[in-house]
Amino acid sequence: MAQARLTPEEGWRTIHDTLAQSQSSLYLAGTAYILLLWGALVSVYFFALFAIAELAPGFEASYPWYRGALWMAIGTSGMIGSALIGHREGSRNADHATARSAGLRVFAFWMAVVAGAFLITGAAGLWSADGAEKVPYVAIGIVCLGYVLFGIMYRPALAVVGLGMAAAFYIPAYLAGDFAALGTGAGMLAVAVLGAAWIHRSGQP
Amino acid sequence: MTSEDIFLDETIHQPSRLRVMTMLVAQPEDGRLAYGFIQKTLGLTGGNLTTHLRKLEDAGFLGISKEFVNSRPRTWVYATQEGRRAFTEYLANLERALNWPASGTV
Repeated sequence: MAQARLTPEEGWRTIHDTLAQSQSSLYLAGTAYILLLWGALVSVYFFALFAIAELAPGFEASYPWYRGALWMAIGTSGMIGSALIGHREGSRNADHATARSAGLRVFAFWMAVVAGAFLITGAAGLWSADGAEKVPYVAIGIVCLGYVLFGIMYRPALAVVGLGMAAAFYIPAYLAGDFAALGTGAGMLAVAVLGAAWIHRSGQP
Repeated sequence: MTSEDIFLDETIHQPSRLRVMTMLVAQPEDGRLAYGFIQKTLGLTGGNLTTHLRKLEDAGFLGISKEFVNSRPRTWVYATQEGRRAFTEYLANLERALNWPASGTV
């Protein structure tokens, strides 16, 4: 086997690059599956909104808070699912403290994003009968920002997914009228599946 | 003394083996990494990685253990005490070489 020679400078740079690469690989473990899970859950949310608006027009008038409850159920399922996927993937790559530490950091990052979306919309006074309709506009913007920031730090494909999710949400909301929820649901699912396929193809789910 | 006199262990001072050792010594004392994870992270072929691991294992710098998880075989790789000590020494020598006024290929 050819023995490449390293200068001390190259040796030093190799150590630093490897540490960063190893850390981001651990943090990204399971990202594609988590992405797919969230894409599917958010799509379920919007398909449910569309179905309720079409099939039970009086439902929202009777239960004006249902969007918040639905969002909370989706968010809780997503967080539990993400934690399980992160733990499973992390345990495949490393054992003991390393896997736990990486899993906890990623979980804390996404918890902070979801908690931020909840608190910011609350602080903006949107958790009310008048403002509830605007909650997804802000909350999904914050989640998309989370994807973009995480992607900038660890994998650009995720930043593109974040932008795609924002487009899938905001464009139908402004242009599709009554079919906005349906368009967003389908768009979110498409972006998540494409993003997951892209990341999977790169070899690091 | 010249930078040529600063000894960098050739078992570690090779691109792929240096990367493997860096990943392993960054783990806690009892921490292990999966063979597949190392391979994917470093983008090495199975044969290439195995050759480098064997060289490091022969030097006593790492250990390899195999176990079954949910009926599937999993290979774990970990740095030994000797490997950690050698890497610490390598780092100290690398720093000395870097601080040498006209350091070239060592």
